[in-house]
Amino acid sequence: MIGLKGLLNVIDNTGALKVECINVLKVKTRLKSTGTATVGDEIVCVVNKARPIPANEVVKNPSSSSNIQKIRKGDVRRAVVVRVKKTVQRTDGSVVRFDDNAAVLLNNKGEMLGTRIVGPVAAELRRSKGGAAGAGGRWGKILMLAPKVV
Amino acid sequence: MRVDRCDFSGYKVYPSRGRVYVRGDSKTFRFLNHKSESLFLQRKNPRKIAWTQVYRRMHKKGITEEVAKKRSRKNVKVQRGIVGADLASILAKRTAKPEVRAAARAAAITKAKTEKRDKEASKAATRGQQQSQPKVSKQAMKGGKGGR
Repeated sequence: MIGLKGLLNVIDNTGALKVECINVLKVKTRLKSTGTATVGDEIVCVVNKARPIPANEVVKNPSSSSNIQKIRKGDVRRAVVVRVKKTVQRTDGSVVRFDDNAAVLLNNKGEMLGTRIVGPVAAELRRSKGGAAGAGGRWGKILMLAPKVV
Repeated sequence: MRVDRCDFSGYKVYPSRGRVYVRGDSKTFRFLNHKSESLFLQRKNPRKIAWTQVYRRMHKKGITEEVAKKRSRKNVKVQRGIVGADLASILAKRTAKPEVRAAARAAAITKAKTEKRDKEASKAATRGQQQSQPKVSKQAMKGGKGGR
């Protein structure tokens, strides 16, 4: 249940550590948007806390030449929610709850910015169909990179 | 159907019951009810809470009576006489030393042997008597041809 000003941990290697939700993107197929995001939903967020970029790197290449674009505090990005503290009901009747809210940063096309994921992600990501990834649904890459899918 | 165990109380968690909690270190815990979950999140030790299975197992609750019953049912050895041999004779045989038993056996064997020999001898004697008598056929006795 991620709404406006909701705080999430970032679990990829983009350099962002904490982001704040500033908008929940509507899902076209959903009849009525609740205004809150859960696992598999896309949000727009602003980076509240980021890993500091080493000074020598900034001097050497001001326009980031490395394939991982460095994220700074104050950047506005899209992200997908991968873990939520609010319980999620599954079709088999079980209820799953995580320790924290977490997200993975995306670019404007909906592709992952980072190349690695740390920590478990929810299996609800499998539900969203389509996307560029193909077989794994829209978030197939995230599911593939995650060390554990719960 | 998969039945799990509650990670705090140790009770059975049937499908569609309880809640799964995924900790930050990606460990999953299954709880039967909110009571268990709450106590777990309060970092309570299930070994110190009296109603959990761990505590009950630790303090041997609910299994002592069964053990006692089992013990009482154990079969006891009783010595008593059976057909043809009373208790005293059995005991005497059992307590007798091996030499004594061997001697007894030897005596019995010699006795049996002598008896057999005597029997044979008596038999031979009777046979000898029969042979000494004159041969008379049954027909002769009746006054047949042989008598002439």
